[in-house]
Amino acid sequence: MNGDENTKAGKGEDDNFAAAEHVLGLADAETRAAFARRLETDRALAEEVAGWETRLSPLDGGYEPVTPPPALKAAIEERLFGAAPEETTGLARLWNSLAIWRGLAAATSAAALVAVYLAVFPATTPAPTTVQLVASLEAEGAATQLLALFDPGTGQLRVTPLSVQPVEDRDFEVWFIEADSAPISVGVISQHEHNTVDISEALQRAIHEGTTIAISLEPLGGSPTGQPTGPVVAAGQANLI
Amino acid sequence: MSTEEISDLIKRVSLRDRRAFSALYDRTSAKLFGVCLRILRSRAEAEEAMQEVYIKIWQRADRYVPGRNSPISWLAAIARNHAIDVVRARKPVADGIDAAVDLPDDGPGPEQAAIMSGEAGRLGDCLGKLDQNKAEAVVSAYMEGYSYQELADRHAIPLNTMRTWLRRSLIQLRECLER
Repeated sequence: MNGDENTKAGKGEDDNFAAAEHVLGLADAETRAAFARRLETDRALAEEVAGWETRLSPLDGGYEPVTPPPALKAAIEERLFGAAPEETTGLARLWNSLAIWRGLAAATSAAALVAVYLAVFPATTPAPTTVQLVASLEAEGAATQLLALFDPGTGQLRVTPLSVQPVEDRDFEVWFIEADSAPISVGVISQHEHNTVDISEALQRAIHEGTTIAISLEPLGGSPTGQPTGPVVAAGQANLI
Repeated sequence: MSTEEISDLIKRVSLRDRRAFSALYDRTSAKLFGVCLRILRSRAEAEEAMQEVYIKIWQRADRYVPGRNSPISWLAAIARNHAIDVVRARKPVADGIDAAVDLPDDGPGPEQAAIMSGEAGRLGDCLGKLDQNKAEAVVSAYMEGYSYQELADRHAIPLNTMRTWLRRSLIQLRECLER
């Protein structure tokens, strides 16, 4: 074993112990904070932490459940969603969430900029009308940008990647999301090209102003579970122009 | 409470599904409140911590990797981390103010029972191979969120000795688990 390897092994051991120390929570506030910052960018270190979390997790069985006071849930939901109607959460909140999603999308390092254009049947209007909707969203360091257009005349959703860093051996999958429901798969699209997806009549009725359109990174051929399994690389909300 | 169900709920929460968030809270809040209470030893602080913990869960749900850890352990890690951060941020004078809260004091806690009963599986076996006081130090650091200093005080040994104990014990544990 040469000197380099020794040094490497030494650092590995130190990091492994620092990870165990962090998981056990032994260190003081400053050390913990510094370690947490390192964790944000150091994948090897994050692996060490995950390893120790796995090793020690059987101890979690020792924590006795204690029912929290009922008011706590309402307090949390109010802080997260506010007391206002759901759709007022708005674009800023969506982008906040995208900034976090970006973390997992490290493979694409996708900061997201998405614009979604839609023309829809308003769900409550019996006679189909062509009302255009738009949402334009931005995140700092924007790297990913797609455009979605729903044409009620043809029943097709057109998705055009404007700025995308492709990820090999993965597909993009498009989802419609209503605030209170599980995402509905719309279809798998190419990361590179202009896409046209036929939208079933049922799905056409599901899309309206305020619907969130999200794109997740999935194994080739799409999510094996029917629900998103990969990071969301871009999302936007349908709005009236 | 099935593992798969919790895993699925976390996945849906990562896509901003509020109904899933509500269901996830209903199914996991008692466990996580137990974690916060155990480490913070104050109902008021534990309730406050729970708000931060569930806000973090909402924000970080996308980081959950299914299959690696049980989803409940992933959630418990968020709760433990936050509660320990709160404890570490306390001014020293605040320590012990709430000590009178109606929680079981130290001594063999439920985790000891869990380890004895084999619930902790191989980890329990490997802890059993450490000196008893060292195994206790590891387990109480995890369960109670004790710092080096607190552990050193409780075991009446110098802080650096405690650090050495833990370092060696953790290496032994890892080797035992990988065997």
